[in-house]
Amino acid sequence: MNAIETNSLTKIYSSSFGKKKITALNDFTISIPPGTIFGLLGPNGAGKTTLIKLLLGITFPNAGNSKILGKEVSDYKIKSRIGYLPENHKYPPYLSGKQVLEFFGKLSGMQGFELNRRIDEMLDLVKLEKWKKIKVKAYSKGMMQRLGLAQAMINNPDVLFLDEPTDGVDPIGRKEIRDILMNLKEMGKTIFLNSHLLSEVELVTDRVGILNKGKLIREGKVSELTERKQEYRIRVEGKLPQTITENLLAGQSITVLSDGAYSLKLNDLNELNSFIDQLRNNHIIITEVLPLKNTLEEMFISLIYESDKESVQ
Amino acid sequence: MKNILIITWFTLREAMARKVIIFFAGLSIVTLLITFAIIAVTDLNTLLQVQNQTNDPQIFKEIVSSIQLMIVNPLSGLCLLLAIFASSSFVPVMLEKGNIDLLLSKPVSRSQLLWGKYFGGVLVVFLNILFLVAGVWLIISFKFNYWNISFLYSVVIITFTFAVLYSLIVLCGILTKGSMLGMMLSYFIFLILSPLLLVFKEKIYMLIDNNIVKTVIDVIYYIVPKTAELLSKINVDLALGKPVSDFQPVITSFLFLVACMMSSIWLFNNKDF
Repeated sequence: MNAIETNSLTKIYSSSFGKKKITALNDFTISIPPGTIFGLLGPNGAGKTTLIKLLLGITFPNAGNSKILGKEVSDYKIKSRIGYLPENHKYPPYLSGKQVLEFFGKLSGMQGFELNRRIDEMLDLVKLEKWKKIKVKAYSKGMMQRLGLAQAMINNPDVLFLDEPTDGVDPIGRKEIRDILMNLKEMGKTIFLNSHLLSEVELVTDRVGILNKGKLIREGKVSELTERKQEYRIRVEGKLPQTITENLLAGQSITVLSDGAYSLKLNDLNELNSFIDQLRNNHIIITEVLPLKNTLEEMFISLIYESDKESVQ
Repeated sequence: MKNILIITWFTLREAMARKVIIFFAGLSIVTLLITFAIIAVTDLNTLLQVQNQTNDPQIFKEIVSSIQLMIVNPLSGLCLLLAIFASSSFVPVMLEKGNIDLLLSKPVSRSQLLWGKYFGGVLVVFLNILFLVAGVWLIISFKFNYWNISFLYSVVIITFTFAVLYSLIVLCGILTKGSMLGMMLSYFIFLILSPLLLVFKEKIYMLIDNNIVKTVIDVIYYIVPKTAELLSKINVDLALGKPVSDFQPVITSFLFLVACMMSSIWLFNNKDF
């Protein structure tokens, strides 16, 4: 059973008089197994928040369906196993941090000693224990975000939806949130993450999906998506002799990188081994051979660019 | 049911935080103090003379009840005006972005959310009216040593009148995500339409000989909640311990409440946020 499953999910927003229609999500199908940290990436207006809202029953689809932990999202009782941190969340300003957690904990079906224990545990985890009796209107943006995370985890959910969880959080706080997420993953929780901070997504997620104009344009493991096919970084002592750089075959290329290393483009792995043999036969000392990778950001920008170009054509 | 109670309880806290309850309580305390001061210096002899002259304890009771109503009736009208103003934002605030998303992500059905907000608003007004009416009742009952329990029905009738208007405020809140329309319509019904329809029905209706006009008036009369009749006729009858002569205003107003709430729930259940 998948933790999150969608099948041809489509959402079209209409203007007040129904004349103008905007497709926020188009035929979106995905399966996320339990225990995965899944990152959803996309430019503003790509449909990321719409997707979360559809998965939580906050918005209704025009077509398709979705399941969480094997149950239809229309069954509101399944939400007792879900946690959600929305983007720009609002808490009643007259409540203290502890009261906010009490309210949402009770709504999630918790009560009594168990709820109080969990509130203390969560406030401690997000480092707000000293602020628990202070009204939330006095909280900073980063503190509100941490309280939001505590709120999302109050019912010990199996599936956690986080929309921009590190928004407004300082670098140390971000590291702490990343640690919390990794800890939750170890506990077998499924985390669905929406974030603009690609470097952060790269650090924590197992899989990512790229969404553009409501369409899922790529999905897979971060390592798979960022890999450059048959491109290697090679460093040697001194410089490569001209005989080697000049005797390249078709499809092969070699360029000098800014740090003095070489970027080598080959057709397959055999060619890499032949190239290394050639260097060794010439008594060249190899100090580094690494497969070259794009950063997630580079991959993201190039994919969005290609997708936009295709849609214009 | 548990979820409705949680939302109701937190709506009450919202009202307290917004000083709605404190403002009402302050107004009620001032009223009670003035009542106490006036009653304390009131000479009982005049009343007792009336009682002796007529030798009818019923007249004495009616005079005491009338004093109670004279104080509570205008105040309850004022309380309702304030209550409409204070409670009109409960639903729109709930529907604000960032707030509604969180609430709908919890294992609570949409109808439970709405009923919780509704009962919360009604409970705020009920507690305030109870404090005011029971306070006036206690002061006057102690002074005249006449304990007219029927007078406490005013709490129910005034709260019911608010509950009817509040259902309209909830419906408008869901429709517009704002408080203005609900507030304006409620004031219009409470201050203008309902009293006007009552006058039409009682005084002018019989003078009209055009059947179409009569039918139109009838339709509007039966659709619009009868706040004027609830507060004047039925409230007075019950407070004086008299049987209610006509339950039609209660029944039609209740049907209006049900229609508004059912429409609100249907709209809320099908709305995207």
